[in-house]
Amino acid sequence: MKISIFRLVLLCLTSLIPVALLAILIFLTHYSWSAILFNGVHFLLGKTWSLGNLYANPVMVHGLSVPVGANYGILVFIMGTLVSSLIALLLAVPVSLGVAIFLAEGVPPGSRPVLSLIVELLAGVPSVVYGLWGFAVLIPFVAHHLAPDLAHLLGFIPFFAGPVGSGYGLLSSSLVLALMVVPVITATVSEALQGISREAKEAAYALGAMRFEVVWKAMLPMIRTSLIGAIILGLGRALGETMAVLMLSGGALNYLPNNIYSPISTMASFIASQLDSALGDPTGMAVRSLAEIALVLFLIAVIVNVIARLLTGGFGRAVHN
Amino acid sequence: MQSIISLPVRLQRLNPRRLVSLMGWILCGIAFLLVAIPLLDILYVIIKDGLAAFSVDLFTQVTNGISGGLLNAITGTLVLTAGALIIGTPIGVAAGVYLSEFGHGGFSKIVRFLGDVLTGVPSIVLGYFSYVTMVVTLGWQFSVLAGTITLAMMIVPYIARFTELSLLQVRHELREAGYALGTSEIRVVARIVFPIAWPGVLTGILLSMAISVGETAPLIYTAGWSNYLWNGHLIREPIGYLTYVIWSFINQPFESAHALAFAAAFLVIVAVLLINTGARLLLKRPRNF
Amino acid sequence: MKKYLSKLGSKPIACLCAAAVTLLGVAGPMMGAQAADKVNLLETGSTLLYPLFNLWVPDYTRAHPDVRITTQGTGSGTGIAQAIAGIAQIGASDAYMSDGQMKQSPDILNIPLAISAQTVNYNIPGLNKTHLKLDGPVLAGIYSGHIQYWNDAAIRKLNPGIKLPHQMIIPIHRTDGSGDTFIFSQYLAFSTPSWNNSVGYGTSISWPAVRGGIGAIGNPGMVQASQQNPYSIAYIGVSFHAEIAKAGLGTARLENRAGRFLLPNPRTVGAAAAELVAKTPADERISLIFAPGEESYPIINYEYAIVNQRQANTRVATAVREFLLWAVDHRYGNAPKYLNQVNFIPLPARISELSIKQIKSIH
Repeated sequence: MKISIFRLVLLCLTSLIPVALLAILIFLTHYSWSAILFNGVHFLLGKTWSLGNLYANPVMVHGLSVPVGANYGILVFIMGTLVSSLIALLLAVPVSLGVAIFLAEGVPPGSRPVLSLIVELLAGVPSVVYGLWGFAVLIPFVAHHLAPDLAHLLGFIPFFAGPVGSGYGLLSSSLVLALMVVPVITATVSEALQGISREAKEAAYALGAMRFEVVWKAMLPMIRTSLIGAIILGLGRALGETMAVLMLSGGALNYLPNNIYSPISTMASFIASQLDSALGDPTGMAVRSLAEIALVLFLIAVIVNVIARLLTGGFGRAVHN
Repeated sequence: MQSIISLPVRLQRLNPRRLVSLMGWILCGIAFLLVAIPLLDILYVIIKDGLAAFSVDLFTQVTNGISGGLLNAITGTLVLTAGALIIGTPIGVAAGVYLSEFGHGGFSKIVRFLGDVLTGVPSIVLGYFSYVTMVVTLGWQFSVLAGTITLAMMIVPYIARFTELSLLQVRHELREAGYALGTSEIRVVARIVFPIAWPGVLTGILLSMAISVGETAPLIYTAGWSNYLWNGHLIREPIGYLTYVIWSFINQPFESAHALAFAAAFLVIVAVLLINTGARLLLKRPRNF
Repeated sequence: MKKYLSKLGSKPIACLCAAAVTLLGVAGPMMGAQAADKVNLLETGSTLLYPLFNLWVPDYTRAHPDVRITTQGTGSGTGIAQAIAGIAQIGASDAYMSDGQMKQSPDILNIPLAISAQTVNYNIPGLNKTHLKLDGPVLAGIYSGHIQYWNDAAIRKLNPGIKLPHQMIIPIHRTDGSGDTFIFSQYLAFSTPSWNNSVGYGTSISWPAVRGGIGAIGNPGMVQASQQNPYSIAYIGVSFHAEIAKAGLGTARLENRAGRFLLPNPRTVGAAAAELVAKTPADERISLIFAPGEESYPIINYEYAIVNQRQANTRVATAVREFLLWAVDHRYGNAPKYLNQVNFIPLPARISELSIKQIKSIH
């Protein structure tokens, strides 16, 4: 009898995890339902986010009360989220690979813990501190040095051509996101590299391969699946980042980025910055539309994570951050 | 490293393969610097500006927005973190125990998977969820309870997974020996498994603590902010915390507010890095099982 | 749950929990004792009013130790919403509530506490010491992308004799919801019919997509973005006057309804307020933007306390009443000692009376 109570208590507490996830889904859907009805597919495809005229009397549309001219389209924020995350990954993946190889095979085992601590500490820096550093250091650096230099060097590619803007925007956001993603990918990759058996490595050495060739040509292909999983995991981290991007993105509204220096907005940063304005809508449609963004972001994050976990075959490796 | 140390010797007998290999190592080293330099710069900037703003007042005075100290934010962060651990630890540890000891069925597979998914949910989504449900619908308003429950939702899956992984490393024979002697499940877990597995569990708890100290986005719409010390009420009473100071005071037109923001950033980063380092040292300790 | 854990005998976790409980246990009563029979008020909202509340509250609570007031700069929309929801006793807002909001919450009062203004600033190397003349239609043209260069004919026409550069204008706008956006867009809407019909006004408007235009968060973000971008233009709350000067930005003379171009100063802001004193209704919800009168600066506004007429209990109601009466009093809260630090101007006598009348109805 005692046994079953013990198990029962554990079981009840354990089931809180799926219950929490389900609750998020149900409550966000329930809360944003009238916005989902009002916005339809246009929500995902529209480029214009307008709360409408909050000082005029609301009108009835399809039986729903909304401000005159209200129009909720989030394509700009979806694109901002995806493009900044993808650029962050383009920067972070090669760097993470380099760091992982450097730590796993390139340094004496004795100094490995100290050096890998640096990467692990990077994962621990709170995102608002990244934001503060970005505000104080990165933005001026990007505005005065990196962006003009990039435009000068790569200006022949339209995406890199000026105007270079203020430092707030896609480039700065992506750089900080890359810093945040690197530890995620590095942790998974170095663990996978360390998991490769001696025999496999020695077989490669026996063929006359040099140390770097062993890593590059023999070991990396072995961990391909883990690597892809790690990248998608990093994507999940970048998609949901809020505070740092909020402080660095420049908060674009109603236009898509036309070069890498353009201001952007991401879904997460937009939710955080717009609740205040949305509360001014007496019909409540604006707040419910923000909840709909949260729902979309939730679904994207869930899908990305499901894919990542399926590929990495579990969670243990990525748990470090 | 070997190839870097003996670089001068090797340069004399370069062939294309060696050159590619050398380049490879150099690029890997550069990659490491690309990661290490920003981290060191973050630490440098925060420590320099943070220390410049240090004074006794930080720890003895509450803030009034433009001057004063951070006592309300410091104690608020402690209360929120403690609250998140009080709620999150029992649930996380229980889930971890269940998954490692009895988690062979399909249900456990699903829970494990969904726990992983929950860690991937953006924290602002959790914050918005809590805002809609607890702050607005339940009428708790900005409160310690709404803030701590939101943080607990973030950390439970971490604690659960750390607990499960460290319990799984305990050899099965030990448990079987216990059961063979007729020991109850609860005693096997408590007397045999836990004494061996606790460092891993504690690491999970410490890392969760670091997450709680450093979070901002899920607290803005749940815990609110207060200029005063917490008065012990769980609901309908907002509370201050350090990360809010960083985010909000940097936008004020007063130098003194900026100084407080950097001082808060300094406190947060020192706390987070100390906890993280401690947790990792604990995990890397040689184990005797 | 704790009982179960101690049964588990996992000492480290039990210790940790015990430590946490002790912490709560010690901290709670300590703070509780201190807070015992005090009234707690929460002020939240406008980031433009936030600095002023932060100047007021320490002095007020020193003189009234039985009241504790938390101040929060969250934005005007939050201020209004939380005052309606009863979360905050005082919501601070740069904008008055809409008719729709009033219909839903008829008990809410809009009480002016002071008068603020806004400047339009630019960063044109070599011209920042010159006060360029700008009007509503030109600003609307810039912010909707029809006027792209500083030497556009429309700008040259307003500024004869000044050599304007052929450089693209970078319009900077606020991306967070803000009272500054409300009053700036209202100036454009009231002075330019085409803007009124297309974009309109609000705390967060749907900015037309302008090539090169950028968004910034908060007034510090506006100052910084403008400083870093030569040939940019921005609208900034007057409390940030010192920051604007430090950044070396130019300040525009804006055209008022009478067709004169003016800089904001106590005289022109006061003149604009004086024009609308007589028109201010008993509930004090009125825009001061684009006021008539020769000497009226066009972008000024009342800074409001949004307060529920019916408070939770008489103690809270008394505390709110007394604090607000102190705030609008010219000897205390409305004294130059406070207002000068944020460049606000005090309420005219008749408006003080209306505010006091509204404040006294709080119960």
